[in-house]
Amino acid sequence: MEDSAPPILELRHFGYTYLEGTPRASEAIRDASFEIRRGERVGIVGATQSGKSTIVDSFAHLLRVKPGQVFYEGRDIAEPGYDRARLRREVGIVFQRPDSQIIEDVVGADVAFGPTAAGLSAAETRERVEESLNTLGLPYPEYRLRYVHALSGGQRRRVAIAGVLAMRTPVLVLDEPMAGLDPRGRRELLELLFRLQDERDLTLIVCSASLTDASLLCDRFVVLDGGTVVMDGPVREVLREVDRLAKLDITLPEPVIGARELRKLFPDFPTDLLTEDELEAEIVKRIGAA
Amino acid sequence: MLELQRNVIFGQYVDTGSFIHRMDARIKLVITFVFVVASFLIGDFIGFGIVLLLLALIQIVSRIPVGFILRGSQFFLAFLLFILVFQVLFYPGEASNYLWRWWILSVSTEGLYTAGILGLRVIFLYHVTTMLMLTTSLVDLTNGLELIFAPLQRLRLPVNELVLVFVIAIKFVPIFIEEIERLARAQTARGVPFDQGGAVTRARRIGRLLVPIFISGFTRADTLTTAMNTRSYRGGRGRTKFRLMEARPSDWAVLALVLAWMIVAWLV
Repeated sequence: MEDSAPPILELRHFGYTYLEGTPRASEAIRDASFEIRRGERVGIVGATQSGKSTIVDSFAHLLRVKPGQVFYEGRDIAEPGYDRARLRREVGIVFQRPDSQIIEDVVGADVAFGPTAAGLSAAETRERVEESLNTLGLPYPEYRLRYVHALSGGQRRRVAIAGVLAMRTPVLVLDEPMAGLDPRGRRELLELLFRLQDERDLTLIVCSASLTDASLLCDRFVVLDGGTVVMDGPVREVLREVDRLAKLDITLPEPVIGARELRKLFPDFPTDLLTEDELEAEIVKRIGAA
Repeated sequence: MLELQRNVIFGQYVDTGSFIHRMDARIKLVITFVFVVASFLIGDFIGFGIVLLLLALIQIVSRIPVGFILRGSQFFLAFLLFILVFQVLFYPGEASNYLWRWWILSVSTEGLYTAGILGLRVIFLYHVTTMLMLTTSLVDLTNGLELIFAPLQRLRLPVNELVLVFVIAIKFVPIFIEEIERLARAQTARGVPFDQGGAVTRARRIGRLLVPIFISGFTRADTLTTAMNTRSYRGGRGRTKFRLMEARPSDWAVLALVLAWMIVAWLV
């Protein structure tokens, strides 16, 4: 039954060129095709300039998408008369730089922006703002009236995420969510995302140039290089092809780097390891055998 | 979607590697100056017709598509048209020349003629300066201006600093336009529909971007200052150039050609 439903998001031979038709045109994505099913947790990974952000923008029709290339719930988002406002209420994006998506000066007002624009009642908006801020560790009574500009970078990122969470979008897209966060901030954000996945039937898409966080959060990787999809598959399957990954300027997870080194000793050492515990277990196994 | 970079090309540099791109920046600046003077001396349609031929030639040699410039100048041209309409309507002409008259508004042949010449003059100036910026990189433009105004340094004028401020101001325009685009995209994602609604609603939404743009502008300026200080920028005194500019004979020939062409256009 699951398989008969259309994928929640699908790219079919998607291509995009910035400033197309001008002398400054630059091709960002060429012939990218993949689908994302409801409830999936997908990491879109690749080095800078590989086209991650372009793909993110295409999901919410923030670029001139050509017809027949991007589909949401089976419908072409570029067809005439398609309700883009509704699409943007369903696909929530947390951008790389939180400052660009914060609209209001005051924390509470900013988080309330989306629900208000979507036409929710004042009571429901308030409830969602309170819930989102509390979820992100910015207690509502304390932060509601704080000025956004007076907050730290990490806190502003959380406000940006709260603003998207308050929309309760079925799809949550995070573009480099860990950039600029300290280890504690990273850990907290990871925990939060785990919790959200459990609580809501969320389709999660994480873009990153680092596989470390993405490998913990996602079930599947779509690997981009120079604007094309070069690998697509379950996390462990992708990690097994570590030598291909290493050529792509992507930060590999620590256990994978360790395992790759150990291949010099044990040529068949597996590299699809997600945690240090898994690496340790594998090493113990090898030593035991030797 | 909002793609301002297509519609406002002011300050952009497009490297096509043409002959004009490779010309000495100082010569290009002098030629631009010749054009500016010529635009004020030439006062009839035949003269501007001759100028137009030269502009077309420059356009072809530069290998920058005309469509790109026209598209990138649409806001400017719309604004110019708006001003010219006022110029025509309020022109105080001779009573005998009125084609149409109502209250204090009128259309006279003289008014149309003056507005036409004025329009051509402004388009001429705009095209020439736009071409200068499209074909000259930031570094060349700065070096060229510094070298041209170097003699003024004897008068204790801070030439290098003034030139730098001028060039930064121009080259920040495309950066800001990119920034506006990025902000608009992020806000659209949150439910501000920049790509929907009428002209007035759209304009009002752009107003929402002003505060963040100002803030990011100050941040950028601050970063730039720090970057310059850490690299020990201290103005022009005692500074030597790594890349020396050298005007080739062909550059001088172009200057001579432009001068001759403008004199012909002025005298006919």
